[in-house]
Amino acid sequence: MAQSMQQGPVDALVLEDVRKSYGNREAVHGISLTIREGEIFGLIGHNGAGKTTTLRMISTLLRITSGRISVYGHDVSTEPDRVREIISYLPEDAGAYKDLTGRAYLEFIARFFASGDEFDEMVAKGIALADLGDRIDSKVDTYSKGMMRRLLIARAIMPSPKLAIMDEVTSGLDVINAYEIREIIRGIAADGVTVVMSSHNMFEVDMLCDRVGMIDQGNLILVGTPSELKERFGVGTLEEVFVKAVKGE
Amino acid sequence: MSHLTNIIRKELRELLTPGSVASVLIMVVLFAGLGGLIGGEVEKASAIPIVGVANASAGDVVLPDGTSWSVYDSLCSYYTASGVDPDEIGDYVVTMESTGPDGIIGEMSSLGLTSAILVDSGFATDISSGTRGEITEYYVFEPTGMFGTVSSTAVSMVIQAMSSDLSSRLISSVSGDLDHTFLMSPIECGGNSINTVIDGTAHPGVTPQDVSGQITSQTMMIPIIIMIIIMMVGSIVISSMGSEKENKTLETLLTLPIKRTTVVTGKIVAAALVGLVYGLAYMVGMSIYMGSLMDPLSSGVDLGSLGLSLDIADYALVMLSMFMSIICALGICMVLGAFAKNYKSAQTMTMPLSLLAMIPMFIVMFSGWYSAGPALQAVTFAIPFSHPMMAMQALMYGDVGLVVAGLVYMAVFATATILATVRLYNSDILITGLGQNGLVQRITGRK
Repeated sequence: MAQSMQQGPVDALVLEDVRKSYGNREAVHGISLTIREGEIFGLIGHNGAGKTTTLRMISTLLRITSGRISVYGHDVSTEPDRVREIISYLPEDAGAYKDLTGRAYLEFIARFFASGDEFDEMVAKGIALADLGDRIDSKVDTYSKGMMRRLLIARAIMPSPKLAIMDEVTSGLDVINAYEIREIIRGIAADGVTVVMSSHNMFEVDMLCDRVGMIDQGNLILVGTPSELKERFGVGTLEEVFVKAVKGE
Repeated sequence: MSHLTNIIRKELRELLTPGSVASVLIMVVLFAGLGGLIGGEVEKASAIPIVGVANASAGDVVLPDGTSWSVYDSLCSYYTASGVDPDEIGDYVVTMESTGPDGIIGEMSSLGLTSAILVDSGFATDISSGTRGEITEYYVFEPTGMFGTVSSTAVSMVIQAMSSDLSSRLISSVSGDLDHTFLMSPIECGGNSINTVIDGTAHPGVTPQDVSGQITSQTMMIPIIIMIIIMMVGSIVISSMGSEKENKTLETLLTLPIKRTTVVTGKIVAAALVGLVYGLAYMVGMSIYMGSLMDPLSSGVDLGSLGLSLDIADYALVMLSMFMSIICALGICMVLGAFAKNYKSAQTMTMPLSLLAMIPMFIVMFSGWYSAGPALQAVTFAIPFSHPMMAMQALMYGDVGLVVAGLVYMAVFATATILATVRLYNSDILITGLGQNGLVQRITGRK
């Protein structure tokens, strides 16, 4: 991060007039956005607004109907394999292979990124990030929701991606687990990883994100830092910003 | 509405999905079709036989009371009693010119007859002198299904009827010096008097039933094993896809730095290995089971001596055919699995595959490729799982062309399904399902 600041901010993620249609229905209407390296960017919006569709297009899971997305200069449509080498995507309510132990799952993922000593270091890093103690050797299907989420966060961060994409990352977690996961996200951003996350938790977005984008019915209606947005709408919380923006007040 | 009714309604809505109802209806249609198929085969096999008659005997049999008895008249009586119009008896009893084995085999071939009897040259004089007259049976062996061998029994029954007819005529005109065994059974048939013709060579003492039974005992388990393997491997792959989607592990997998073709190939190879292991295990188990079941029914005919045995190259072709059919099954499963929303819907998706595995099994077992009509043969050939089911019998009959054609077809089929799978893996359907597909939306009118 410090090095990037000295050289000027690098565009980690650029969306240019991105549209996505399902049949005749357009779910995302021409979103344009630039996210800088090391930023934690929050996408907020109500259910069905187009947040997950946007994250899936960035992650190469869905094809773009029109427009362009580039990740660190690599086009997701023409260079999807290159993009997948530098991103990590954590879907909402994601799971792991239930017949594996937590350690075996991390090893399975690490094999796609490294070998030899690098592999051992990556797995050790994943185990440390998951912080599951002895339970790392328990089968995944015995994990609580919080433990599962910690394992998956570790999986997503372990390969040291340049861009981490997280959909509703703390959804359904208790206070302690949610707090610890937010701390992990802060930590990786400090190390220069760019984070794009979606959330319904305005408190979390306010605390964690450097900038926020608000999506409503497939349109990006607001972008700014939490303090800028609160100031613009003359309110004290992002929640109030969201309500006023959606109602057009 | 009571709580119980409420629960029952909810459960019924979940259980009676369009997919499950459709699968039950298809099963009904399948079993109805199967009943028709078996009924048709049994009817065909037990129909009044068409038999060629080569009469080398000089004149009719002169009975002790001075009256005469002829083979042709006796046959006519039998067919008339069986309901054949006297004017149409010539369609069933075909008079042949030949009087020797070689000529008979050639004439059977030219006339398209599958069964013929040769009345021995000394038949009339033997009977008249109190010795059993001989009638030799000839059958052209035809590959058939389980019920196809009954036809030769029908011809034997005709000869038995002739024997009974002659016996009764003899008894009614008997003079005291005739042997009672002769009177009860004046015609000698069966045993070495039966000849089965395979590839133009007559094999004495072997009936078509013996040959067919022996082949069935050696090949019957193949279609069953293939069907089990296909259904099992298919279920594994489709369920795996359903679980990946339900647990959202698929989304993670597809964003890892690996090519989609690697994901598809990995899944297919793993399932193929599991399929082969299951296949070998089932083959051993089924061999023991079928061996104990079929041994008492085995005719003890040495198929090798009849030119119907397989060599190493033939077994290699059979194994290759099995492997290719598993690859085809996995290709179909990967395509079907791409549309599975979750584990439960994946179970429904296995239905088409099960049907595709069951249809050729029934056709091959009950009718057989060679006795099936052109339409049924086209259906059987089009289903890739048919080929390993038919391969062993085809190779026994020396029909290598059918096996090779099947291998080529399966290679094309597998390539097409794997390419389709990779295409699906590169599309949105894998993530969004069919509901968000533009074409499906246009067809269903839903948005």
